Amino acid sequence: MTAPSFEDFLSLSVDLTAFEETVLLGTGLARPYLAKVRAACGDEVVTALLDAHRASRADAAVDAGGHDRALPDRALLDRALLDRALLDRALRHQIFSDDRLGPVARNVIKLWYAGMWFALPPEWTDCYGAQAAGETSTVTAASYQEGLLWRAIGANPPGAKAPGYGSWAQPPRIEDRYLNGATK
Amino acid sequence: MTASTINNRDDLISYLHVAMALEHATIPPYLTAYYSIHSTTNSDAAHIIRVVAVEEMLHLTLVANVLNAIGGKPDLTRPGFVPSYPAYLPDGENDFTVDLRPLSPEAVETFCKIERPGQAPSADARLLRTADSGSPVLAFSPTAEGMRFYSIGEFYAEILEGLEKVAADDPKLFSGDPALQVGPEYFYSGGGAVIVVSDLDSACRALRFIAAQGEGLDSGIYDADGELAHYYRFRQLQLGRYYQVGDDPDAPSGPPLSVAWDDVYQVKVSARLADYPAGSELAGVVRDFNAAYGAFLALLTRAFNGQPGLLQDAVCDMFRLRDGFNRLVRNPLPGSDGLHAAPTFEIPAVFGPDPETAPAAGQSAQGVTR
Repeated sequence: MTAPSFEDFLSLSVDLTAFEETVLLGTGLARPYLAKVRAACGDEVVTALLDAHRASRADAAVDAGGHDRALPDRALLDRALLDRALLDRALRHQIFSDDRLGPVARNVIKLWYAGMWFALPPEWTDCYGAQAAGETSTVTAASYQEGLLWRAIGANPPGAKAPGYGSWAQPPRIEDRYLNGATK
Repeated sequence: MTASTINNRDDLISYLHVAMALEHATIPPYLTAYYSIHSTTNSDAAHIIRVVAVEEMLHLTLVANVLNAIGGKPDLTRPGFVPSYPAYLPDGENDFTVDLRPLSPEAVETFCKIERPGQAPSADARLLRTADSGSPVLAFSPTAEGMRFYSIGEFYAEILEGLEKVAADDPKLFSGDPALQVGPEYFYSGGGAVIVVSDLDSACRALRFIAAQGEGLDSGIYDADGELAHYYRFRQLQLGRYYQVGDDPDAPSGPPLSVAWDDVYQVKVSARLADYPAGSELAGVVRDFNAAYGAFLALLTRAFNGQPGLLQDAVCDMFRLRDGFNRLVRNPLPGSDGLHAAPTFEIPAVFGPDPETAPAAGQSAQGVTR
């Protein structure tokens, strides 16, 4: 079994968080997060999750483009036009509804947004085994500050990343693409 | 001694425009080195660079005050105000260029050259002929063609002499609108007290303060307030030791200081937009940062032209620029052998002094109002 690839983890994280790759790399935490997920769940589970993600992307690309059903390599996938609705459905089918992969994927989302690894539910560890590093824990001192939730709501992490005196009186700044059609 | 190159108010105004560009030109290089440092590491180096960068912002404001006091019009949006790096300093020193570099021995070497003690070997050596090297020199003496200055300190010495001379001939020199002055109620915690300029005496105090805080012209390692000059702050990083009062300039005797040169994002030196893959997400982020920086300079221009209260908003913008800077340096730059991204400070020309039409500084996102 090959070790889970960083690029694949990044690609998974883009689809799970809806933040762009530059934002994720811009936290400086993508590598520590992959290391945390591997330590908490084991490489077998992480590899299966990344495979399922690739397969989901392939489904969305193939169905959208009508190409042959062979699993395209990553470079082809990156170039392919993805149907976002199809991708969403494929992710739900292949990852979120899966007893083994679903809870891990949900934890990866929480990891990016809150900067914390939350322990997997007991029914998961009963079935698939518990790792010593799987307990609820902070990844690094910086992960709280870099949590995507602060960017998502246009706020600063309380007590960190000072935004300037009086800035709290201004409306939050949220990029258009995340506003989901809200009026301004 | 060389004849003065400043003979009237217009000469003074052009010199002060160059001085503003000069004070600003040092800020992107200092910020690039500062933000290249991995967080929680290199606290000594980070602190030293941060203090100097913040004091340059005070100098920029002080020059704007002097310019306003004699009826000039500060403009940080004029084409060429932000140099294209690598750049020669706008005062005309042309034996070195300034790059946007990560923290490194080379960066500190350049910083020392920027802030080096300014006294020319003799009074008539202040103005030197610019080398005919064909290299672009951004500006030099704005009034004497082909002449440059020995150092930033000598550049300011020339302005101080010119100011005294023109003020003696022109009793109405300081007739600028006092409402344009940035006072301590608008600018504080910025590396020293801001000086409101209303006459020759306060103008000279402001300019001498800049020169003394920079390289310690005439005042040795420490200035009159007991503050270490910028040149010597940076020398500490080269010599690995802090200065204390009474030290010889070449032999600091304070506590040792260590720099972890490896705990740094190796950003590409003086990267340009063209280095970023065309159409990539990353190129878009760099472009957005540059645009936000341009909008920030437009905001400062309004602040220096009658709305000093806007400096409060500028502080928030600076924090947003900081976050954007940090995000960029953590991104690898594709195709550059593992080097990292950084702002390129190529400012789009669309930002006039009226930022109503420009995006908000800091990021392209806009405030949500309901």
